[in-house]
Amino acid sequence: MDYLVVFKAAGLVGGLSFLMGSILALASIKLKIEVNPLVEKVLSVLPGSNCGACGKPGCEGAAEAIVAGEASYDACRAGGPEVAEAVARVLGIEAKVEENRVAPVLHCGLNRKEVAKKGFYNGVYDCLIAEQQTKGDLLCLYGCLGYGSCQKACPFNAITMDENNLPVFDLKKCTRCGVCVSTCPRGLIRFVPENARLVIKCSSKDRGKEVLSVCKKGCIACGICVKACSDGLSLVENIVVIDYEKNPDCPRGVEKCPTKCLLPYKA
Amino acid sequence: MSAFRHYFLLFVGAFIVQNIVFIRFIGLCPFFGVSTQVETSIGMSLAVTFVMTLASAASWIVWNYALVPLGVGEFLYIPVFILVIASLVQFVEMFIRKVSPPLYKAMGIYLPLITTNCAVLATATEVSKPGFLKLNMPYGYSFIEGVVYSVSVAMGFGLAIVIMAAIRDRMKVSPVPEWLKGYPIVFIVAALASLAFMGFAGLFGM
Repeated sequence: MDYLVVFKAAGLVGGLSFLMGSILALASIKLKIEVNPLVEKVLSVLPGSNCGACGKPGCEGAAEAIVAGEASYDACRAGGPEVAEAVARVLGIEAKVEENRVAPVLHCGLNRKEVAKKGFYNGVYDCLIAEQQTKGDLLCLYGCLGYGSCQKACPFNAITMDENNLPVFDLKKCTRCGVCVSTCPRGLIRFVPENARLVIKCSSKDRGKEVLSVCKKGCIACGICVKACSDGLSLVENIVVIDYEKNPDCPRGVEKCPTKCLLPYKA
Repeated sequence: MSAFRHYFLLFVGAFIVQNIVFIRFIGLCPFFGVSTQVETSIGMSLAVTFVMTLASAASWIVWNYALVPLGVGEFLYIPVFILVIASLVQFVEMFIRKVSPPLYKAMGIYLPLITTNCAVLATATEVSKPGFLKLNMPYGYSFIEGVVYSVSVAMGFGLAIVIMAAIRDRMKVSPVPEWLKGYPIVFIVAALASLAFMGFAGLFGM
């Protein structure tokens, strides 16, 4: 047996390793890059779900923007006041705590068994595609399509679809990031203040007769609730609009609403 | 055979007819792991092209000028190639990070993933070591042939992973049965794509 080959192999591997190692060691000194340690610290307190609600490409982009001063310390909408406070602590600035909590509400209260349909939708099970292709299977052009795009979009799994195929929001998991608000192709999910007392569960801008012909739960713009309590309620484009600045409460209007679409709200 | 025809056949053979993922089943882990979005898969295939070409060139040089003269190539080629490729990728990563941050952002995060990727190692070995895998070049590759061949193989990998990512993008909104959701349906789709690619066998008499 040729024992020389052992030395050749050992020499080759050892030599190559030494060569490569020296090149890498040299390169790590010559090609060193200063990484701002503050960015990593900010990144570590952000939620890290990369939801994109702040408008930056993921949490890393947000952290860079916050450190560079391009974004405010409370840029993270998903994290809310706690994360803003933590970021402020990392940056060494005083956080102003603002208590202005909101909650997402679906502005539609249809009943899938009663609502009028134009046919059977057999396409892709997705609201965005259904809205683009056939406007879903509902005759109402303002109603919830029910294909759960908001549920799929929610980065925090706070949305479940009930047996009526309407989204239900788990306010404990919800971080108010607003991804569902921008996802819904019909704009049915909107934020209301958490202390709101009334919600209008309809978004139809059709006239009363047309609404009644397709859905028994829609706002027919009869104006009974507006007559009952004019302060804070108004009719705009055939729908009741609630002025949450005044935060009205209207038990008589709720009681008299003929289609029961004006409902009391409790977060 | 004219030079152009020779290199064209080399390209088509590696790109489609002997597609590294669909026909030869090499490099399946990044193929399934990274093909979730078209954008990331394009970044991945760019990085693979880059690394595969460099790795093949480097291992061709090491094989022909170090392993063969010393007569230790037959049993030492895998550790030596892994050593060369891993340090090369490390160096390139540092270099790109310093010289071109946008390029690093586009493909930097994939570079460590493919350091010792099986597709890279297989192509580097195939290019350097004559007779390895016994495919269409049993006599071994010249340096230029090796570079062209590894670029083509990497492009074939890119083709496969982009096709897969596009199909998976479309499948996100499809009513997939509950028991097939996730990887099972991806495996089935990959098998069907592989069958489709086998239809290219015999193209240009290959």
